Amino acid sequence: MIRLSNVSKTYRTDKVETLALKDIDLHVKKGEFVAMMGPSGCGKSTLLNLIGLLDRPGQGSVEVEGIPITRYRDKQVANLRNSTFGFIFQSFHLISDLRVIDNVELPLLYRKMSAAERRRLARQALEKVGLGARMDHYPNQLSGGQQQRVAIARAIVGEPQVLLADEPTGNLDSKMGEEVMDILLKLNEEGTTVVMVTHDEREARRTNRIVRVFDGQLVA
Amino acid sequence: MFRNYLLTAWKVFMRRKLFTAINLLCIVLTLVVLMVIASLLETAFRPSGVEGKSDRFLQVLMMRMEGPKGNRVSTTLPGYKLIEKYLKPMPGVERVAAVTLPASVSVYQGLNVSELMMRRADADYWKVLDFRLLAGRLPTSADDAAGRMIAVLNASSAQRLFAGTPKQAVGQRIDVGGQVFEVVGVVEDAMHLNAYADIWAPISTFPTSDYRNQLSGLFTALILAERAADLPRIQEQVARIAQGVVHDDPTEWNKIRFWADSKLDVFARILTQSTDTPDSGAGKLLAGIVVAMLLFMLLPALNLVNLNTGRIMERRSEIGVRKAFGATSSQLAVQLVVENVLLCLAGGLIALGATAGVLAWLESADLIPYLQVDLNLAVFGWGMLIATVFGLLSGVLPAWKMSRLDPVHALKGAV
Repeated sequence: MIRLSNVSKTYRTDKVETLALKDIDLHVKKGEFVAMMGPSGCGKSTLLNLIGLLDRPGQGSVEVEGIPITRYRDKQVANLRNSTFGFIFQSFHLISDLRVIDNVELPLLYRKMSAAERRRLARQALEKVGLGARMDHYPNQLSGGQQQRVAIARAIVGEPQVLLADEPTGNLDSKMGEEVMDILLKLNEEGTTVVMVTHDEREARRTNRIVRVFDGQLVA
Repeated sequence: MFRNYLLTAWKVFMRRKLFTAINLLCIVLTLVVLMVIASLLETAFRPSGVEGKSDRFLQVLMMRMEGPKGNRVSTTLPGYKLIEKYLKPMPGVERVAAVTLPASVSVYQGLNVSELMMRRADADYWKVLDFRLLAGRLPTSADDAAGRMIAVLNASSAQRLFAGTPKQAVGQRIDVGGQVFEVVGVVEDAMHLNAYADIWAPISTFPTSDYRNQLSGLFTALILAERAADLPRIQEQVARIAQGVVHDDPTEWNKIRFWADSKLDVFARILTQSTDTPDSGAGKLLAGIVVAMLLFMLLPALNLVNLNTGRIMERRSEIGVRKAFGATSSQLAVQLVVENVLLCLAGGLIALGATAGVLAWLESADLIPYLQVDLNLAVFGWGMLIATVFGLLSGVLPAWKMSRLDPVHALKGAV
């Protein structure tokens, strides 16, 4: 599904050059649930961003479904992100001015689709995460767990093949974290590939595979 | 997609009401100035009111005379002889009118002296322009031929001199610099280029008949075409006629040039002093006006650019999310430009209302005599165009900056 070959990433500022990832080879297979673990600052999120095409590698190549995206233009990458990936962030990143339903619709705005169809799919996604009754609420009217479920609905509304979750339970208490984890597992059972960054060993053990990152490198 | 742009724009505007209000104030102030200018230009150059036929009349206002060796050049107004002998007989035109430019005269009433602006015009003048007669009658060619000492006043002057209804001024007598005229008519006040005056008398009421023999002098000619489409032909015709004009003293002045111009061309020719070519310089003048308006918009636009850039920084998270979910840079850029243009259009609507107020004040303050400006559909169109240009001017740069934001950094920078 996604293959990273010999990928390195360096961040440069005026004075400092930081090697975030070095010689990463990673293959995420279709239908897998991969957990990425490692200490803070080890490069997990950078790796997730490279998998999700939010960032480009300094060296090496990223392939999605066997197609290298190195030479893709920004517009092509944006289209691929829209059709293939769904993102879940630790701090939800919901747009506070928009209602829940409008937040969930967001990925569909960048597809050729009627407003009615967008609305139908967004409703469906919200019902799937158990928030069918909260469509007209604003994010700040919801609990943290509910907000993360809205974020999950937004991530799955376009039926992406891959869900990328960056510490999705990091801002939630254990009960809410459990609920979110259950939803992710269910989505994986239904066929969605999931890559999740987490610090929680218990959550990681519920996935198919654990990838450990240390100082920008994968460790066994 | 556009509905979503509108929705997002509305939410963004309402998120920071004070910020939006400051933005709007900045936009409104700029647009009011530009709309007032646009309204005045529109009133000056669009066929309306007393000059309702200006889309089919041309004007000869300046005459250029050159000496035999080209070492002497004189630019003057045409004389009556030039109009009567060379322009009035022109074939293919509806009529040619002769009128002097307004000149200050003293009007005596007992011990009172009033300074008024006076024109002397032939009977055709009253047929080329559409004065609204409030009382009495307008001068005819018979009055002109007979040299009748009659005058027409505008409403303000009639009120000033005779304090009453326009009808009460008709039949009264006025002493203009020692000449006594009988008021035969009162017309509505008018501000237009060729209509502006307080008092009008027939040309034949000049104290002497010298004007009849003068090739250059005090006059302007208004040439009314049957159709607007005839104007280019008439312009060529007038240019040819000019080449055939012989000065009374050809050894002194052997080359005479004049051009039949539209109102805009007349204005441009006066400003650019372009008297030796058919090109009045109107193109350059219009370009200059557009550049000046853009420059005027630039400073507040830069201010707005600054404010918009600040607003973008607040929206980094949203930008990051939109990019993550597939928004392209151009889609995001369009979104911000649309938001900004919408804000400017809203500002434009408010500015239109404020412009109406400013124009009403200008009319009543009497800073420009007899000014009557309408906020018509054309001005509305100009206003919205200016607002859109302003929106684009102040929105494109922040939009471009926004579209270049890296999604990873945008998401990290978010709260």
